[in-house]
Amino acid sequence: MTILDAAPAPYLKPLPEVRAENKPFFDALKNHQFVVPRCDDCGDYNWVPYPACRSCLSENLTWTPVSGDATVYTFTVCHRGPGAFNAEVPYVIALGELAEQPRPCLVLGNLVGTAPEDVHVGMPIQIAYQEIPGEDITMWRWIARP
Amino acid sequence: MGFPKRQAAIVGVYTTKQGKLPERTSFSLQLEAIRGALDDAGLTTADIDGLLPMAMTDHVPGTTAHQFWAEQLGERPLGLVEIGGASGQLAKAAAAIAAGLTDVAVLFFGRAGGRTGPGGTAAPQTRAPRVSDDWSFATAGGYMTSWYAMWARRYMHEFNVTHADLAEVAVFTRYHATLNPDSVMGRKGEITVEDVLASRYVCEPLHLLDCSIDNDGGYAVVIASAERATDCRKKPVWILGGAEAYYTDFYATINDPWFPNQGKAVRKATDRAFALAGISRDEIDVAGLYDCFTITTIRDLEEMGFCKLGEGADYVREGHLRLGGSMPANTDGGLLSNSHCGDPSGLHTIEVVRQLRGECGERQVPGARIGVSLQQGWAVHGMASTLIMAAD
Repeated sequence: MTILDAAPAPYLKPLPEVRAENKPFFDALKNHQFVVPRCDDCGDYNWVPYPACRSCLSENLTWTPVSGDATVYTFTVCHRGPGAFNAEVPYVIALGELAEQPRPCLVLGNLVGTAPEDVHVGMPIQIAYQEIPGEDITMWRWIARP
Repeated sequence: MGFPKRQAAIVGVYTTKQGKLPERTSFSLQLEAIRGALDDAGLTTADIDGLLPMAMTDHVPGTTAHQFWAEQLGERPLGLVEIGGASGQLAKAAAAIAAGLTDVAVLFFGRAGGRTGPGGTAAPQTRAPRVSDDWSFATAGGYMTSWYAMWARRYMHEFNVTHADLAEVAVFTRYHATLNPDSVMGRKGEITVEDVLASRYVCEPLHLLDCSIDNDGGYAVVIASAERATDCRKKPVWILGGAEAYYTDFYATINDPWFPNQGKAVRKATDRAFALAGISRDEIDVAGLYDCFTITTIRDLEEMGFCKLGEGADYVREGHLRLGGSMPANTDGGLLSNSHCGDPSGLHTIEVVRQLRGECGERQVPGARIGVSLQQGWAVHGMASTLIMAAD
């Protein structure tokens, strides 16, 4: 598990609003765990989180830690960005397909620490964690898997 | 007793000036478009019985859309209000006309001063904004172009398609725009594949010229029962069939293969529209294909069944969509080079209507009799609707 250096201050990019229904996820991130709702009945992982399992419609879902290992399903290198992101171009947004199967989970995040020209579809990546200065939240990032 | 079955036709179309229109308001563009389309039909606002506002049209805060427009347009009850997206609304209005629920309905949109792209989004000065988008569209710096870029990247990976293949779409639509005196980009002249590849990246693999433009403008379409249509100023363009389908907007929520052989929402809407119309794909003379980005057009062709999965780029390169080809498409220059005015999905239908009326001058498709328009909703083929039209 990798914990990145804290993001530079001031952090002006949008951050998620933590609410009752997503609090277990962000609490887990603070403990450097990436959790995904897993169906107690059929066993499938569901991402992005929905109120019921998309395979069997069961509402019995449990936030379950995953390995954090993934491969790049697709990505883009942004040369223009909204708001504070425009000061950080070029930046990479990647969809990582989690190692957990059979129902594939695509998780979106910024891929950091790899030159944009070296990112490719199929690249092994993993979840890393980053503290946000002045904010009570930990964010996830994608990094290359060694 | 059942509902009657009556034919419906498009009887009026209108587009305001498209471009940067700082002196206009969204409302004034909408009103101009409504009145212009009615005038094109030889009708007046007193004839309006149904309204089809595009989802993003605004009105006085505190009023709902139905209340605002029923009051604004002369304080009369309206027979039908359907809020949504262009070709799907027209299909549903045609069904409502067929069933006797309304006689004359107007679809309209107008936007002034808005922007769809990331430009103009100022960074906050002191504190990170909190957003309800938990799973990181906004928090990862994503916006519309990045979604299409990721879609394009995966598509290029699976089907061995190149940047130059995508660029071909921008090239033929710009050529069409040069033949449309009202297009935003036509006056800039034709472009080549090399021009597209040399334009700066917005989100790789999409260059600036792979992206639609981002301008102001308005438009309206009047649809009427056959009985009313025969009294209108111009020849009716009959609605043969139309349908819509919904799946999902943002691909982060879809985990199954992105490009299944059986297609997704666009396929469902298009199959149903053709079945209702009782015609086959090869009978289409002219098409308006949603083209917010070059990749979109290529995927439209595959999803609509004009070619097989993975063959969209070949289909474009073979020249089918260019004027003179087997199915000229986006003859106005499309969203890439004619206009993208915020919610431009009615513009393709309007151009097809003009083609079927024979009003297109230098860009006229000779003998065009049957046309199709595809509209796509918010993003990446999640909401789709198809409309099939014919002249007598």
